[in-house]
Amino acid sequence: MKRRHFLLSAAGVAGALVVGWGILPPRSRLGDRHTLPVREGEVGLNGWIKIHPNGDVGLAMHRSEMGQGVHTALPMLVAEELDVPLARVRLEQAGTDAIYGNVAAFLAMLPFHPADEEPGKEGATVLLSHWMVTKLARELGISMTGGSTSVSDAWEPLRLAAATARAQLLGAASLKWRLPAAELRVVDGVISHASGPSAHFGELAREAAALSVSEVRVKPPQTWKLIGRSAPRTDVPAKCDGTAVFGMDVRLPEMRYAAVRMCPMLGGGVARADLDAVLRMPGVERVVRLGALAGSTAGLAVVARTTWHAMRAAQAMSVEWSPPPHDPHRGLLDSAAIERELEAIARRALEAGEGFTFHRRGQARDSATAASRSLERTYTAPYLAHATMEPMNCTARVRDGGVELWVPTQVPTLARDAAARIAGVPRERVTVHVTLLGGGFGRRLEVDFVAQAVRVALEMGGRPVQLVWPREEDFMHDFYRPAAAAVLRAELADDGLPLRLEAVTAGDAISPRWMERGLPQFAGPVDAPDKTTSEGLFDHPYAIPHQRIAHRATRSGVPIGYWRSVGHSHNAFFCESFIDELAHEARQDPVAFRLALLEDKPRHRAVLKLAAERAGWGRPLPAGRARGVALHESFGSIVAQVVEVSRSEGRPRVHRVVCAIDCGTVVNPNIVQQQMEGAIVFGLSAALHGRIDIVGGAVQQRNFPDYPLLSLADTPQIETHLVRSSRAPGGVGEPGTPPIAPAVANAWFALTGERVRGLPLIAAAPRRPVA
Amino acid sequence: MEIQVNGAVHRLPDEQVDEAMPLLWALRDVLGLTGTKYGCGVAACGACTVRVGPRAVRACVTPLGQVRGQPIQTIEGLKSDRLHVLQAAWTEHQVPQCGYCQSGMLMAAAALLDERPDPSDAEIDEAITNLCRCGTYPRVREAIKTAARELRGQPRRKAAGWA
Repeated sequence: MKRRHFLLSAAGVAGALVVGWGILPPRSRLGDRHTLPVREGEVGLNGWIKIHPNGDVGLAMHRSEMGQGVHTALPMLVAEELDVPLARVRLEQAGTDAIYGNVAAFLAMLPFHPADEEPGKEGATVLLSHWMVTKLARELGISMTGGSTSVSDAWEPLRLAAATARAQLLGAASLKWRLPAAELRVVDGVISHASGPSAHFGELAREAAALSVSEVRVKPPQTWKLIGRSAPRTDVPAKCDGTAVFGMDVRLPEMRYAAVRMCPMLGGGVARADLDAVLRMPGVERVVRLGALAGSTAGLAVVARTTWHAMRAAQAMSVEWSPPPHDPHRGLLDSAAIERELEAIARRALEAGEGFTFHRRGQARDSATAASRSLERTYTAPYLAHATMEPMNCTARVRDGGVELWVPTQVPTLARDAAARIAGVPRERVTVHVTLLGGGFGRRLEVDFVAQAVRVALEMGGRPVQLVWPREEDFMHDFYRPAAAAVLRAELADDGLPLRLEAVTAGDAISPRWMERGLPQFAGPVDAPDKTTSEGLFDHPYAIPHQRIAHRATRSGVPIGYWRSVGHSHNAFFCESFIDELAHEARQDPVAFRLALLEDKPRHRAVLKLAAERAGWGRPLPAGRARGVALHESFGSIVAQVVEVSRSEGRPRVHRVVCAIDCGTVVNPNIVQQQMEGAIVFGLSAALHGRIDIVGGAVQQRNFPDYPLLSLADTPQIETHLVRSSRAPGGVGEPGTPPIAPAVANAWFALTGERVRGLPLIAAAPRRPVA
Repeated sequence: MEIQVNGAVHRLPDEQVDEAMPLLWALRDVLGLTGTKYGCGVAACGACTVRVGPRAVRACVTPLGQVRGQPIQTIEGLKSDRLHVLQAAWTEHQVPQCGYCQSGMLMAAAALLDERPDPSDAEIDEAITNLCRCGTYPRVREAIKTAARELRGQPRRKAAGWA
């Protein structure tokens, strides 16, 4: 209903343009009973829902479980509408039909300011763009788990699919018993009437499938029994007894194991290798040369009887590497030089008014203002690795003109396409089994390891092969969170509030590079402006009359990718550190200062006040401790965090984090809390320790001892408070990460008077090149 | 070569193993016990933690030659007749997220509780050095305390952290 209304309003404002795209309603995301394959006895009702003979509900699971709880949250939506116990919703992997494509993730790429996208207040440009991108995303049908979109994207189609199935089942019972549908009730998957008749879904499914339903309504929130409750996660038992199957745990008959070793110099290759010596090592069966596949660096894969034999031989292998093709403008990659250059570029762009302007209001470059003083600051953030606990891996079998993959991936349709390209088979001949993911954080939006596995499988004569990256390769050949620099300048009025904000960031743009690797057909000769470069800065919530917020996109040659919370991960640090500096300059309390700039932002105010209140903001702390605060909106949710730090051996130690979030309607409070805890720990590792150094073209961090993660002993006490809301759900996987770095930096300033403007907060000694 | 895993003696074919092979890979690739995970290969992350006798060890750096004749327990053997008290506490506190490190966490926690039935926070800090990228640490700590209370036969307290 909502969609049609939406469509008509878009057509009304821009008829001529819309005609070019076709006036027909967008293809339904419900699919039909033939979209979802059925086995003997099962009855498909639409592309998402089928009914098992015993009345259990089968749900096409189109998103990857990587810890964020999607294998619980999505079946909850279905169980709610169908009134079945959650335990009776059985998950099976969705196919590759376009209905399973991610629309919300593509809508989020549009570089609109949140104020212009506020539901019900959108202008014509926003509505038309939404309509066009929705249509494009539906056509593309890219199944992707990322951008904290799983629940927000599924919210309407999945509930509608379940509500439609429910209406069909009720219709079948009504016809069978000749009783009005309105008098029937559904309890635990059983339909009954007060006069006696009752039947479970399995007994009505065949008749239900033959019915078409004209009008369907989803349940009103006040009747929800499951949504909003902390239903236990469905994946916990298998993750506590060792039976959960991750990519690395796939075991197939006759399977062999392959370990990769790539050129340590990013983008380099293999000049010479003594393959005979490798082939003489115990357990080794073959060595396969790997070109630069789907953005990877070239190298070799050793195939052996066990992973250990393969890894040992790959490590022992004597290889002469060749550097990447010569670039006359620069030598081998050097992160320190790149980071210095980014600062200079950002500063020059600010002075010259250059860069792509993501947001402008008032007269940001007119110097004739009433400002009494100004403040300018430069901030930096380093490259970071994803470091998922499960290293990259993919199991592949190529035989009879087809490919079968078992892979922990966030992008099954792109994995399919990469496999088809490498094996030279039509994509219909590729089957993808998505396993559990031992962490994703954006690393598994890439398909480099999939392409490599298929390349090796082509040499295996039909035998399956599990390709595994040793941890060292995982660190040295990631697609890193790009380094970034920011220069922010504010002019302040007499009352200390900012009148004018000019901000320019510099760094590589992720999306165009990712498109080149995963969706080459959409990568143009010129990069489109990438919202991820400026997100978290151009869309800040503070009322400042004059603003210009721009980004200068660079091309360093370092492989970069999406890292949990993407541009927000560093832009929140830049923005919220600067706001804190402005508060100090104005001699105002950091919470009160922010509230003064948020008069027309009730949601932000509520979140900030909740976190401050629960943290005891303003109340005295024991000597040697101080508080810091940060507020940040990302992925449709607003998060505030208040931290308490002390100084331990000269370094910040975080004792307590109080987190408040408004993520719209909460589907499962426990999972939201888990995601906040996880995102805070993830963000703290980066804030305190995270840095990737590239020297002589090679990444210097090789394993966990070089890239410290927060330990249990260093983990603060974390409390999460949820704001009640009736808005549609926002994201929860990522929004907890951005505020933690600035909150800790701000607390450190409050404690020590020392303002740290470059991450990580605990600076490591500069690294010497490792051979 | 023979090793004793979860109460059963397993014969490892000579063409697949030697004494230098880390226990981790014999478990995973020879015996098919994939609950024990590979994370780093250098004893840094603890995803491969198993028990050899009462001790928690990192299987990725423990050569087969060192564990001959000793009882080895993996995550698959933690569950006895009823769900192990730690696994029950893990469920109660909804600890796992991605779950990849959890086998190692549970085995490290089992070794801790055997040695110290009532561990202090400092003892938990010292014993649980496993890395978790999803940040389940606060719940790991609480679940260990709940399991310890259960083992001491004290009344259960409602799990904090989720309603």
